[in-house]
Amino acid sequence: MKKYIVCSLLLLCGLSQFSCKKFLDVTPLDKLTGNNFYKNKEDVETVIYDMSRNFFTKINATHYAGAVGEYRAGEVKHQLNTSLAPARRFVEVLGKNDLLQLLYGNPMPWDFYNFGTLTDWTTYYQVIQSANILVFNLEQGIPTLSDKQTKQYIGEAKFIRCLAYFYLVRLYGDVPYYTKAFYSDAPPRENMVSVFNKCIVDLKGSVNDMQWTFSDPALKGVRASKGSVIALLMNMNMWNAGFDGANASKYWEETARLGDELIKSGAYKLMDLKDWNLVMKGRSDESLFEFYRSINYNDAVNNFASIGDMFLHYPYKRPQTSFQVSFAYFKAEYMKQIYPEIESDKRKEAWFENMYANDGDFIMQKYGQNVYASGNQDVNPDNTFLVFRYAESILLCAEAQANLGRNAEATTLVNMVRERAEAAPYDGSGSVKDFVFLERSRELIGEGHHYFDLIRTKRILSRSWTSNPLTLDQFNRGGWTWPINEAARNNNPYMTLNTYWLTGGK
Amino acid sequence: MRKKILFLSILFGCLTFSDLQAQIKKVLVKGVVIEKATNLGIPGATILSGTPAKVIGSTDNKGMFSVSVDEGSTLVFHFVGFNDARVKLKPGQTSANVILHESNSQLDEVVVRGYQVRSKETSTGSSTTITSKDIMDVPVSNVEQLLQGKVAGLNIQVNTGAPGFRGTSTIRGLNTLAVTGNGSESFLQPTSPLYVIDGVPIDADKAAEYGYNQQGPGVSPLSLIPQEDIASLEVLKDAQATSLYGSRGAYGVIIITTKRGNSKIPRVRYTSNFFMNTPPKLRETLGGNAERNSKINHILSNALTQEDFDRLSKTYFLTDSLNDYYNNSTNWQGVFYQNTFNQSHNLAFDGGDEKFNYKTNVGYFSETGVVKNTGFDRYNMNMNMEYNPTPKLKFFASVFGSIGKQNKGDGVGLLQRGVAENGQTSSLLPGPSFFQSTLGAVSALKTLNNNDSRNIRANIDVKYQLLPGLWAASTLSYDFTSDNEDTFTPAAANRQFARVYSFNGRSSNLYSRSNISYAKTFNGKHNIFANVFNELYKVTGQSGIIVQNKTANDQLQGPLGFDGYYSTGGGILTNFKNARLASFAAAFSYDYMKKYVIDLSYRLDGSSGSGLENPYAKNPSIGLRWNFNKEEWLKEVEWLSYGAFRLSWGRNVSPTANLSNIYGLYQNTGTYNNNPTMGIDYGQVPNPKLKPTTTSQYNFGFDAGLFESKVELNFDAYYKKVDNLLFSSGLSNSVGFGSVLSNDAGIVNYGYELAVTVRPLPTSSPFNWSISVNGAINRDVLTKLPAEYNGQYIRFDGDANSLQHLVYRVGKNTMSNYLRVNQGVYATTENVPVDPATGLTYNTGGRFFQGGDPIFKDVNGDYVLDNRDYEISGNSQPVVTGGLSTNLSYKGWGLNVYGSFTLLRTILNNALADRFRIMSNPYDLRAVVPLDDLDTWKKPGDVTKYPYAYDYARYGAIQPFRLDQTLWAEQGSYLKFNSVTLSYMFTKKLAKRIGLSNFRAYISGNNLITFSPYSGPNPENVTALGRDASGGYPVPRTYNFGMNVEF
Repeated sequence: MKKYIVCSLLLLCGLSQFSCKKFLDVTPLDKLTGNNFYKNKEDVETVIYDMSRNFFTKINATHYAGAVGEYRAGEVKHQLNTSLAPARRFVEVLGKNDLLQLLYGNPMPWDFYNFGTLTDWTTYYQVIQSANILVFNLEQGIPTLSDKQTKQYIGEAKFIRCLAYFYLVRLYGDVPYYTKAFYSDAPPRENMVSVFNKCIVDLKGSVNDMQWTFSDPALKGVRASKGSVIALLMNMNMWNAGFDGANASKYWEETARLGDELIKSGAYKLMDLKDWNLVMKGRSDESLFEFYRSINYNDAVNNFASIGDMFLHYPYKRPQTSFQVSFAYFKAEYMKQIYPEIESDKRKEAWFENMYANDGDFIMQKYGQNVYASGNQDVNPDNTFLVFRYAESILLCAEAQANLGRNAEATTLVNMVRERAEAAPYDGSGSVKDFVFLERSRELIGEGHHYFDLIRTKRILSRSWTSNPLTLDQFNRGGWTWPINEAARNNNPYMTLNTYWLTGGK
Repeated sequence: MRKKILFLSILFGCLTFSDLQAQIKKVLVKGVVIEKATNLGIPGATILSGTPAKVIGSTDNKGMFSVSVDEGSTLVFHFVGFNDARVKLKPGQTSANVILHESNSQLDEVVVRGYQVRSKETSTGSSTTITSKDIMDVPVSNVEQLLQGKVAGLNIQVNTGAPGFRGTSTIRGLNTLAVTGNGSESFLQPTSPLYVIDGVPIDADKAAEYGYNQQGPGVSPLSLIPQEDIASLEVLKDAQATSLYGSRGAYGVIIITTKRGNSKIPRVRYTSNFFMNTPPKLRETLGGNAERNSKINHILSNALTQEDFDRLSKTYFLTDSLNDYYNNSTNWQGVFYQNTFNQSHNLAFDGGDEKFNYKTNVGYFSETGVVKNTGFDRYNMNMNMEYNPTPKLKFFASVFGSIGKQNKGDGVGLLQRGVAENGQTSSLLPGPSFFQSTLGAVSALKTLNNNDSRNIRANIDVKYQLLPGLWAASTLSYDFTSDNEDTFTPAAANRQFARVYSFNGRSSNLYSRSNISYAKTFNGKHNIFANVFNELYKVTGQSGIIVQNKTANDQLQGPLGFDGYYSTGGGILTNFKNARLASFAAAFSYDYMKKYVIDLSYRLDGSSGSGLENPYAKNPSIGLRWNFNKEEWLKEVEWLSYGAFRLSWGRNVSPTANLSNIYGLYQNTGTYNNNPTMGIDYGQVPNPKLKPTTTSQYNFGFDAGLFESKVELNFDAYYKKVDNLLFSSGLSNSVGFGSVLSNDAGIVNYGYELAVTVRPLPTSSPFNWSISVNGAINRDVLTKLPAEYNGQYIRFDGDANSLQHLVYRVGKNTMSNYLRVNQGVYATTENVPVDPATGLTYNTGGRFFQGGDPIFKDVNGDYVLDNRDYEISGNSQPVVTGGLSTNLSYKGWGLNVYGSFTLLRTILNNALADRFRIMSNPYDLRAVVPLDDLDTWKKPGDVTKYPYAYDYARYGAIQPFRLDQTLWAEQGSYLKFNSVTLSYMFTKKLAKRIGLSNFRAYISGNNLITFSPYSGPNPENVTALGRDASGGYPVPRTYNFGMNVEF
């Protein structure tokens, strides 16, 4: 009898062990913890969207493209007597590369532009961590995902991770690099060429798992495609070509090859110039990657975030009383340099009004499309935030070809872009490289590429290419970078800041 | 077939045996059983006879008995709490008068281990039992404070006098590094012991879960237990005793057993207390003209610039002395503090015998706080019932219902900031009225707060004997609490907008335990006991708040939740709970003739909060005991009543991390491309490698009773190691996440505990006198910090006004202060050191020190006082705690005195600092505090302790009374007379005359005197970090008259 009891008790104890797991498995209703996440396709996509959303907060926090990629070249002046004119003077402070004045000046009438956020890289690393965790989970395997889907999502995560590094390097030069999920060590800064090389390897590992384009038009340019990855790869290669001179031709070859692949795919096209509003609205065939914003989705965009904010006035901005003139303008001297008065070019009409005005009458209508007409509401036109565009990639490819001395190929590529603008094809006069550079300046004006083009081609050192040249010494000491916020040193003994800015920024 | 034969032969044997018995002659024995102390008959004492002993009868309500027994047999008289008396009947004896002595020997006590009652003689762990007698004569809202000073190693600090609140309690030192808050309001995470009430575990820290300076809605379950209903409390200290309680027992366990019915004839007992609470001595202030003169003089004699003089003429409350509004002498502290008269009543019915008994306890307790507009009321109704139809089946059921209603005023409970601030108002202002006074005063006095908890707990316990020695038992309990808090702040107290706040929450706890135990004795020498049980918990809870700002007027205190326009804020709070625990435990115990004892136990704890990969925490323990007095070679030693050595080791593992710490928390972050986005919370990087906090403890114990237990002593030495403590380290911003939670911190506590009880008088003396002293020395040492801190971590105080930092340094006591070192006062300006390099005198913020300024140690020797001039100092945790008591009784009289002490502890006397700091600005509307009794600098040449207090013009720069200096670090040792009780038990006759069967009256006082070198008001009324916040709730003194009546 006793035996039976003991046996049955042991059995009971044994059984309860199994049912116990079930008993202890409580799904918390109030919190979504990591163990209950990454269960399906939807979870993955919400994270992918979240990374873009988080990334965009960085761009939305300040006047990003202008401050980072345009004004430091010194070609923009502010218009006196507009609303808050003293605040708009920041374009000229940037134009003198006086970042310390911009960030810590006294007085600082432009403090509502939050330029301080440009010194803080935390958000980029949040995106990187998020991508790392996503890649980690995808590599572990997520139920219900096919192999193909998994690979594509890995590609998307790697793209956004590398895009964050791309932004980081262009802002700060050397930056910490890691791809480990849940990374929590104190990382030192790593040489930027090495960072890009690692990114290139990382991206190349999954570029072929990506699809050229999405069948859902709502995802075009919004989610990373193969074209996005190629555009990023080309940009990174070209950056390294500038800073890693010894291997420059390798990077050029690579860029040329990638550009060729991109063009041959036929997945993207240059939109007709009369449809430019579609390009600016977003999700167009020309878009390779963008941060899509739409008033229809109630997306919050700060007025100062868009570059168009500075170069538009009534009727592109309302109310009329407040926006009689633009806040700032590209100097006529510069406009004449890139768009000579005598040459015919459809972009001159399609993208500008009073382009040689040299004052607040200047309008960059390139960003004046999709005007949100609702009474006198003070909002900017409802545009997307373009990151990579097909035309940009074509020109980058042309630049690589030109550098390799393949002038014919370069000319063909440049002419592709010029043809859309109904401008005369390149006639072979002058240097192809310079022509490609100028074409980039023309085509990509306001898109935040110009200053970086100056840096990586070292044209920033020459008075003939910029109104705000750096000396070679300033360049080598990192005069082109942004200061890094002191907070980066907290809890990180290996961190160094950008010394150029610690020693007075001169 | 063989079985049948065996059975028959046994049956035959039995029959013949009973035949033989029947031949012995029976006699009728009569007599009375009397209690020694009171000389009264004991009703319900059981009488046993024979081998094995069988119950043959019991005494009636007068203590008389009459039993029929065999001639010459031995009668054993047994009554709970008394030593058994044995009477061997002489031939022809038919009467016996028996005197029972109260049991004093600890060996007769029973202890509870893993829900099983065991004899103390065979227990290997360290524990102390407190009986109802020790806690019955002082009415308190929270019974925990009565344990103060009664158990060596249990450190209880009654650090708040707020009615219905708990102080702090810790067993054997520090268990945590977690500190929240800033300045005087820095709080140490409470690590209260686990309370087990009638076999049901209860979370005592419940109402503190919202943060430590802010008592959340709800009342601690400990405040809901009426003290009259408690039969005994047992405090389990070492890991052998606690490991069977698993994770939740890591901080020690306190077991509370409520009373059971025990009277053949139903009886009614009534206890009533009437008590007066008085606030302690309040701060002295100058009133009326004395204040005005003092302030004006203060300004005139210390002004530095013409501006200061001019400012005086614009300070109308000082200069416009003819204005009625400014011509008062209001005692502002009197506005807020009061003496209160309170009462408690408790009615208990009980009856029944061992087969069936029942008890009902109805209680009411009401205490009005010494701070106006605060108080606590409790209503109770508890019932239990025990039914043992056969010796094989035991059935116990209880229902416990209570309502606790608390009024916190506008304070958050532990702190009464409004009162503290407004108590300092200048006496020149008129006293408060509803329309004319400060916001704070109206707020403190007129805020309507009602914070109540309604708790109902039902418990059923069934035991069944399957085979001799083999019992199966099952317990099921359900505990439901509903917490509500409503606060109405009238418009006058909230910038002309009335505000309603309403909280409601509920929580429940379903608990079940099933166990099988087996006890057997082999050859009369080898005893084994085995116990296997499992426990299941299901904890749920949810709460929400709703707030309405700007109600139409003060009449309208709602409607709440009417719609989004009227109600703002609120919603479901984040403390939604749905947790489950499943545990399996086994204990095995063996002893050889009760001489050598070994205890082994093992417990697995699974929690739904710790993830499924490794949900089980393992808690093993081992204990050894040697009752050396049972050795042959000590048998002859008369003076040794008993003696034992104990040795134990055990481990409690508690998962401290939750799922979001381990896996990260994903939150809804918004939308992108018209799709919802989910992102990880970047506050803390998930750490899947988090390990549970492990507390392992070695205990060595020695127990002895000498001279027939006239002297009893217990000694314990322990070494407690807390490993894998959670520690949150900040991360580099290039990691994206804010902080990382790691396990890389550890603390060691080691110490000694001694408890001695002496009963100096012989048992024949009409006096009963016992003296007990106990004390514990505990030292804590920080053993580990995350590697990146290199052995030292400074927890910076974020409050710029306080800057009382804490420093964790490996190898030192854990909670040290990090302060500027005050080395006295510069007698003259010439004494200020001069930097030989620059020729400048010692300065801070551009101001040079001069005579009368404090000497702050220039730690880095740069002749500038700045934030690098801090040093480690002091220990905020007490090193020695203990208590003493004496009980004296003679006939019906009884005198009990209980005291407790805490030694070697640093207190930061922020209250004194505040007293000085009032002087920093004579222009503001605050009272003037006389400083004559303090050793302050007044003129050049004075060598004093405290700097010049009146130099308000330079105050901002020099900050002579800054909080972050060692000037306020004082020795916080104290000896407190907790309570004195004088009682008289009327004789039966006298009681009968007024129609009662028993009547006892007593007077008692609580928190009577504290002796301390500390210069502040009360060295106990400080936070767990030793900060004497002047905003704390003072602990009142209580005078009580009470009576116990039995019908």
